[in-house]
Amino acid sequence: MPRNPALLRIGYVPLTDAAPLVAAEALGLFARHGVRVRLSREQAWAALRDKLAFGALEGAQMLGPLVLALAAGASGPRRRLTVSAGLARNGNTVILSPALAGQIGPFVPPLRASAFAEALRRRAESGLPPPTFAVVFPHSSHNLLLRHWLAASGLDPDHDLRLVVVPPPRMTEALAQGAIEGFCAGEPWGSHAVAQGVGRFALATGDIWPDHPEKVLAWAEGLAETREEEVLRATAAVIEAAQWLEVPANRSAAARLLQERAFPELPLSTIAAALAGRVAGCAAPLATPLRFAAASRPVAGEASAWLAAMRRWKHLPAGAPEPAAGWRADLWDRAAARLSAPPAPGRATPSPLLAIPQETDA
Amino acid sequence: MLEEGTLRVLLVDHDEDRAAAVRSGLEAGGCAVVAVVPEARDLVALVRESAAEVIVCDLDDPSRDALESMRALYRDEPRPVVVFAARGEPGQIEAAIEAGVAAYVVEGLAPERVRPVLEVAIRRFRAHQALRAELDGMRATMAERSLIERAKGVLMQRRRMSEAEAHHWLRRRAMDRGQRMVQVARELLSNCKAE
Repeated sequence: MPRNPALLRIGYVPLTDAAPLVAAEALGLFARHGVRVRLSREQAWAALRDKLAFGALEGAQMLGPLVLALAAGASGPRRRLTVSAGLARNGNTVILSPALAGQIGPFVPPLRASAFAEALRRRAESGLPPPTFAVVFPHSSHNLLLRHWLAASGLDPDHDLRLVVVPPPRMTEALAQGAIEGFCAGEPWGSHAVAQGVGRFALATGDIWPDHPEKVLAWAEGLAETREEEVLRATAAVIEAAQWLEVPANRSAAARLLQERAFPELPLSTIAAALAGRVAGCAAPLATPLRFAAASRPVAGEASAWLAAMRRWKHLPAGAPEPAAGWRADLWDRAAARLSAPPAPGRATPSPLLAIPQETDA
Repeated sequence: MLEEGTLRVLLVDHDEDRAAAVRSGLEAGGCAVVAVVPEARDLVALVRESAAEVIVCDLDDPSRDALESMRALYRDEPRPVVVFAARGEPGQIEAAIEAGVAAYVVEGLAPERVRPVLEVAIRRFRAHQALRAELDGMRATMAERSLIERAKGVLMQRRRMSEAEAHHWLRRRAMDRGQRMVQVARELLSNCKAE
């Protein structure tokens, strides 16, 4: 171990799935694995991306599709990041304004896409403009899974709705003000809207692709080569934190940690809901709850589903070569081998995003 | 009154004090700040009304992601977004400018650096847009040509025309109806499918 190891700066945004990073720091796991880490709370995915690209951060919580977009040169400067761990599976919710939910009629989550599409067609026939929906970033699982769900019922996400981007902490306010009629965001922001009485829970993104991969732990280009030992140590700490989060007895401590470091403005019950596999204010447990340990080992094949969806919606430059995805399960395996009890690797169900109807060129 | 050649800047900043400082930095650098807004809501309309040529935003502003989506989610009124970082690290400016497209990082807001950086950002953005439009155009032309070729193939096979005759047939029909050849070809092909 170096006597005075250099600092790794790791960025995150206030979301429940930042928990493995927050817990690793709070529980002293980074220090125990012999790596100096400073977490940096950030306001935007674009800021995380730029700071990774220009050397202001060494690592970050990242959106899987954004890692691919960066490698393809479709978002900001072209950079090949390295993914050494997944941070979560599932964990996003689709929330509707009570007015829009009313137009659909009574439903029990998960809302069927066909019922949503029928309501939108009735609205269009009565001359109402398409509803505005917010996602958290163009290159996100939220945008891609919502689009898949809409398209599966015959809706065109670019015409039958207006999709915009709103930062997750602003979603509830935007919904209350009528600036948007629905959103798809990571928890606890859906629970927050429901708890505030301005949103109705419609479905979880896990209902669209069960156990889909969510955020990842990504490292700046080349860092896994130049500072491999530190990357392995930090990854081992994050794997251990994911195991700790999976133990039901630790959930209330985890909720308090998240409140302290990520969401000081939210009540504990709202933050605790996602950790307990629920949406605040809804009694029924989610079929596809937020998961940490099962997300930890990065699965390169799962990234192909994002790529397929990004091509479908033309989010990648035409003719762009396959971006060299840096999903490195080998780094994870080496980091996990340092733990006394490495978690069993998890998997998503086969992705519906890979079974996309081929579009004709005419 | 704006001076000839003044750059029209729209500033997005949720921090009022910082916005005031950035505004004076931009104005000292010879820019006209035509609007200052705390968030990116209704930005498309605002860009149109204010005739802003460039949007300036702090690297850490919460509106960054919404600004990104102006390009990726809907394509109306694209404008270059120039990003400033209060604390730049050595090498960042060069790396950022070299990377092109969207992000330009500048150490502080030294007035003599503001205008050149904005100008480079706008030039690069326009070059990128032009290249993209050209590529889109090329792709569209190729797709249209392939439709016309397929329609000609149908005419040659079903009506035993030569290639020149098929081409002539499509062109005459297009002229008669005041349509483009590709429209006639598309209609012909969809009729074939329906049969």
